[in-house]
Amino acid sequence: MKSVMKSLARPLTPEEREKAFSSRKKEEVIKSQRLPVRYHVEDFEVEGRPRRFLEAFASILKHTNYRLALDHYIRVTTRCSRCAVACPIYDATHDPCDIPCYRSELLLSIYRRHFTVSGILRARLLGDPGLTDEKIQELADSYYNCTACRRCHFDCPMGIDHALVTHLGRYILSEIGIAPRALVVSTREQLIGATGNTSAIPVPALIDTLEFLTEDIQDEKGIQVPFPVDQEGAEYIFFTAVSDYMMEADTLKGIATVMKATGDSWTIGTGYYDGINYGLFYSDQVMEHALQKMQAEAKRLKAKKILMGECGHASRTAKYFYPTYCGGKDALPVISILEYTQQALKDGRIKLDPKIVTERVTYHDPCNFSRTGWIVNQPREVLKAFCPDFAEMAPNGRENLCCGGGGGTVSIDEIRAYRTTVSGSLKAEQIRRTGANYCVAPCANCKKQLRELMEDQGIECEIIGLHDLIYKAIIFPPDREPAEEEAAADSSDDVVSLPKGGTS
Amino acid sequence: MTPWIDFARGPLFRLSFALMVLGLLRIFLVTLLGVKEAYQRNPDKIVSWKEIRRQTVGWLFPVARLWKQRPVYSTLSFLFHIGMIATPLFLASHVLLWRNAVGFGWPALPQQVANWLALLVLVTGTGIFLGRALHRGARKLSKFQDYLWPLLIMAPFATGYIASNAAISPRTYQGMMLVHLYVGDLILLMIPFTRLAHCVLAPLSQLVTGIAWKFPAGAGDRVAETLGFADRPTWVPKARLATEPTIAEPAKKGETRK
Repeated sequence: MKSVMKSLARPLTPEEREKAFSSRKKEEVIKSQRLPVRYHVEDFEVEGRPRRFLEAFASILKHTNYRLALDHYIRVTTRCSRCAVACPIYDATHDPCDIPCYRSELLLSIYRRHFTVSGILRARLLGDPGLTDEKIQELADSYYNCTACRRCHFDCPMGIDHALVTHLGRYILSEIGIAPRALVVSTREQLIGATGNTSAIPVPALIDTLEFLTEDIQDEKGIQVPFPVDQEGAEYIFFTAVSDYMMEADTLKGIATVMKATGDSWTIGTGYYDGINYGLFYSDQVMEHALQKMQAEAKRLKAKKILMGECGHASRTAKYFYPTYCGGKDALPVISILEYTQQALKDGRIKLDPKIVTERVTYHDPCNFSRTGWIVNQPREVLKAFCPDFAEMAPNGRENLCCGGGGGTVSIDEIRAYRTTVSGSLKAEQIRRTGANYCVAPCANCKKQLRELMEDQGIECEIIGLHDLIYKAIIFPPDREPAEEEAAADSSDDVVSLPKGGTS
Repeated sequence: MTPWIDFARGPLFRLSFALMVLGLLRIFLVTLLGVKEAYQRNPDKIVSWKEIRRQTVGWLFPVARLWKQRPVYSTLSFLFHIGMIATPLFLASHVLLWRNAVGFGWPALPQQVANWLALLVLVTGTGIFLGRALHRGARKLSKFQDYLWPLLIMAPFATGYIASNAAISPRTYQGMMLVHLYVGDLILLMIPFTRLAHCVLAPLSQLVTGIAWKFPAGAGDRVAETLGFADRPTWVPKARLATEPTIAEPAKKGETRK
């Protein structure tokens, strides 16, 4: 494993380093905010920042479970830096400040100093003044360099989860006003804005898009595939990253076609149709409120299950935090469209034509799907069923490398150079080596990041979703008799020769 | 010098051993109680016990994992731990001391094997000390105590080895025993209060992490309330109820800027 990682890593040239880490913010903004970080932050109160940081920290410790983890981590940490080689960012920069353990230690040392008896006594004895503004600046910089991919968790012999510490650090920072504007603006629109979703897509525009997609499918496949809207009592209520409605027409068409083929009832609610939850990246409160909106909509439409589209972080928040915030055991079950499609294929409810996609295909594991082992093999089974030339990246599966845009960093356009030269550099090399024409990345964040990565690194590989490919290869109707098999293959050959619509 | 040695071997050992056991028991139980409290604090009881168990067992017997990252350092560290645990527990003279004091004992390792194990600790201990000192990343992370610990732990092994192999240095037996006993007692005493506590806490790490990812419901609002954010700097003045309709109303200018 190490040799693979090492061989992927390429030292940054001084120019690349300069470009990736330079801040394009105006000097006066940096001065007035006293915050030389690369992402934009809305104006906030600068005075007394250390005091307010500690107040926020104390308040969070009081109401949450983080103290358990912090107490444990400060007792067991041995700072062996074994996690360093697991981190794609450290592999690119070789800066000791990018070692996951170093990053965690920034926050753990504040905890030790201000919230443990021994730390307070020690500070009294040694005259340690405590938290400074500079340290907060370092935290703010460091915690958004990390893509929260959780890869380092596997390599800590002491079992420290650095992503949990990063999550907490970002949460505390957000409580004193330090959070990337890109995330905050979207979240504000989602929670208190007029459209109620992160991309500010109003309902009429959504309906228009869905009708357009239906027509598109009619033109391309010759079948009527509706996108059911506001259907009460449907089996599944569907949420996906709302940006998909603007950017990923083919993914949505693929999903709708699969649902049509299986015949299960599903619906999109016009009350709330956004799966995105940036709370996972910077605030537990935001996460909870976004999930409660999902719950309210599911309740309004009396849906039985929640179906998540192709989006890693949205699916992970729903899968792992929906029960936390929306009713515990009684919460609706959450399943991902990737699981759903794999099951449908296994049950023979959908059929895919192996002659359509002949180009080389590779699969990128979105961290939020694969790290917990939740979705690793399902999409591979589907791909292998109809893509004869399937190539794996190495490492893959649970130990995959992050696309470089995880942890919300993909939404921060001002750090694009960082994402495509530093955090995504190993990924780019991985994809280049597979020589694939298509890289399947079933996650809205990964898709955006990987497309920018391919563009900036000059790699010829199309980044698409799993259902984009399925849409190309699906045979309709799925219960065709074996006698018609030949005809079916012929007709689907015709399908592929049709002009590609809606790929924009 | 003999009374000092007897003191360290008798009362002082008993004291430090008792404190070690009680201290470790305390932090172990405190951590478990913390886990229980955190578990009860949130309504979500879906925990992937299987994964926690898999990871915990995997790290207790990490042979398969050594080669993944920093293989040399990891292997040295693994061997160091084996020697460090096995030698003091199964050394014939230790077992004998224990048997004389308490009345029962357990099978001991042959002296020759114990000697080799002590040497293994010294060699691998030096290795992990160097591994820390020579690795750029580890050096940046390490504090003074990180370098001190391997040296401190190796001291009783070095002195014990010399004392029990009289041929090496016959006249220093008492001096060696003195250092061996006092440093050994000191280490036992410090285990519960320092990172050496990972000897009982590390197996709980996966459990702690698994439970800590379960966030209590409503905590975010309570945090904001405690902080008195009437006018939140980050996103929302007062949490909107999830059931309120959000789509139908037209956007009021300025509202979203709060």
